[in-house]
Amino acid sequence: MRRKPRTVPGMAGRHPRLVHTASIVALAVALGGCGGANILVSTTVPTPLVEPIPIAVGLRFDDTMRQYVHEEDLDTFGKFRIELGSTQVPVFERVFAALFERTELVDSVETPAAHVDAIIAPSVEELQFSIPEQTRSGFFEVWIKYKIDVYRPGGELLGSWPLPAYGKSNSENLGFMDGGQGQGLNDATIWALRDAAAHVAFYFPTAPEIKALAAAAAAAEASG
Amino acid sequence: MSRGHVRDVVRTSAGRARLAGQAVARPVLVAALAATTLAVLSGCVTATVQEVREAGTGISADEAIVVLGRKHKTRGETETDFVDCVSRQVGGEDVGVMSEQAFVDATFPWFEPRTAPLDVRDFADVIAQPLLAERIREIGVRYLVWIEGSTVRSSETGTVNCTMVSGGIPACFGFLSWENDSNYEASVWDVEHGIHVGRLSSEAVGTSFIPALVVPIPIIARVRQSACKALSDQLRAFLSSEA
Repeated sequence: MRRKPRTVPGMAGRHPRLVHTASIVALAVALGGCGGANILVSTTVPTPLVEPIPIAVGLRFDDTMRQYVHEEDLDTFGKFRIELGSTQVPVFERVFAALFERTELVDSVETPAAHVDAIIAPSVEELQFSIPEQTRSGFFEVWIKYKIDVYRPGGELLGSWPLPAYGKSNSENLGFMDGGQGQGLNDATIWALRDAAAHVAFYFPTAPEIKALAAAAAAAEASG
Repeated sequence: MSRGHVRDVVRTSAGRARLAGQAVARPVLVAALAATTLAVLSGCVTATVQEVREAGTGISADEAIVVLGRKHKTRGETETDFVDCVSRQVGGEDVGVMSEQAFVDATFPWFEPRTAPLDVRDFADVIAQPLLAERIREIGVRYLVWIEGSTVRSSETGTVNCTMVSGGIPACFGFLSWENDSNYEASVWDVEHGIHVGRLSSEAVGTSFIPALVVPIPIIARVRQSACKALSDQLRAFLSSEA
C-alpha cells in the first residue's frame, strides 16, 4: 500500500528463541543509533469461549505460519525487522482446537487417509506497520493479512476465507524504561495476533464452507 | 429506561496552587533548593464530575466490578494508565475490582476491540449467550464500567532557553506554560440484569508552568490524576448507593 516491504520467509529458524517467565516475550534491539527495531514476537492467547463445531479438521501450517519475517527500511526512521516466527502456530492451534470437536496436524492439504472432515490451511499474505513518527497519531499500528483455505481431505479447495487482523499500541503507554519503538511495535503485533484469533473464533464458524460441513455432519449424525 | 438525576461536583486544588505561587517568588540564589522542593508540587487543576443514573445499583461483598478502556474507535484510545488508576482507586472494602486483563482473558474473544458490544442492545444480546453468562457468573462480576476519553494538551505558550554561562555552568531562562484537558466518560452496565444503569463523566483542566531564572522550576498540573480521582470517588458512591 505505502512502501516497499520485503518479506523473507525462512530466516526465523536461524535466530534463538527467547523465553521469559511472562507469556509475552520480545527482543527489541535498536539498529543504528537513530531508530529502527528488531523484534521477535512471542505470545499466546486464551482459550476461546465458544461452542465447538461437531466436525474434525486437519490443520496444515505452511512456512509463512512458521517462519514469517517482515523487513522494511523506513529511511530516516531506521530499519525494522518483525519476526512473527513460530508464535502463530500455537495461537491458531489453540483457536481451532476450541472451535472444532477434534483437530490434528497434517503435513499436506492432500491427506486422503486422514480421518477428518476438512483440512484448514492458514497462511500470511502480507504484513504492514506504521510508527508514530510517520502518522503523528501517537500509535504503533500493525496490519496482518491472513488467508484461510479450506480443503477436502483429498486436496480439493472448498474455499478461501480472508482474515484481516489489526493491532495498535499507544506510545503514551510506554514508560521511560520501555524498549521504545521495539516495544511499541511488539505490543501492536501481539494485539494483531490476538485480533486474528478473536476474528477466527468469532466469525470463522459463519464461513459458508464451515457451515456446510457442520450441516453435513449434523445430517449424518441424525441419519444414524 | 427513565433518566434519573444529574449531579455535578467541582473540585479545585487551590491550596496547591497557592503554595506553588509562593515558591516562584523566591530569590534566584535559592532557586536550586526550591526546584528540588517544588518538584513534588502541582499546578492548579479543576475537575468536574457529572452523573446520570438510569437504574438502581448496589453491590454485595461477593460481587466485583471490572473497569474496561474502550478501544473501538479507529485511532483514539483511552490511556491504559487511566483505566488502571480508576481500577485501583475505585476498589475498596465495599467494592471489589477484577483487573481488565483478567476479565478479557476469561471471556476471550467476547470483549476484544473487534468483538465487544457497542450499545445497549448488543450488550444485552452478548451477555445472554449461555457460555458467556455462565463464565461471568463464575468469576463473580456484577458491573462492567467502560471508560472512553483521553487527556490532551490543548494550548502551549512561551519558551525556555538553556545555555552555558561563564564557567561552563548551564542556565535556563524563560517561561513556558501549557494547558491539559482531560475528558472521560464511564458507562456502567449491570451484568446480572443486562441493563445500562448509568453514565458518569469526568472533566479536568489544569495549567502547568516552567518558570526558569537560571534553574527551571516545573510546576506540573496533575490533570489526568485529578480526573481519575474525581471519577473513581463518584463511581464508588454511584455503585454503592441505591437510586
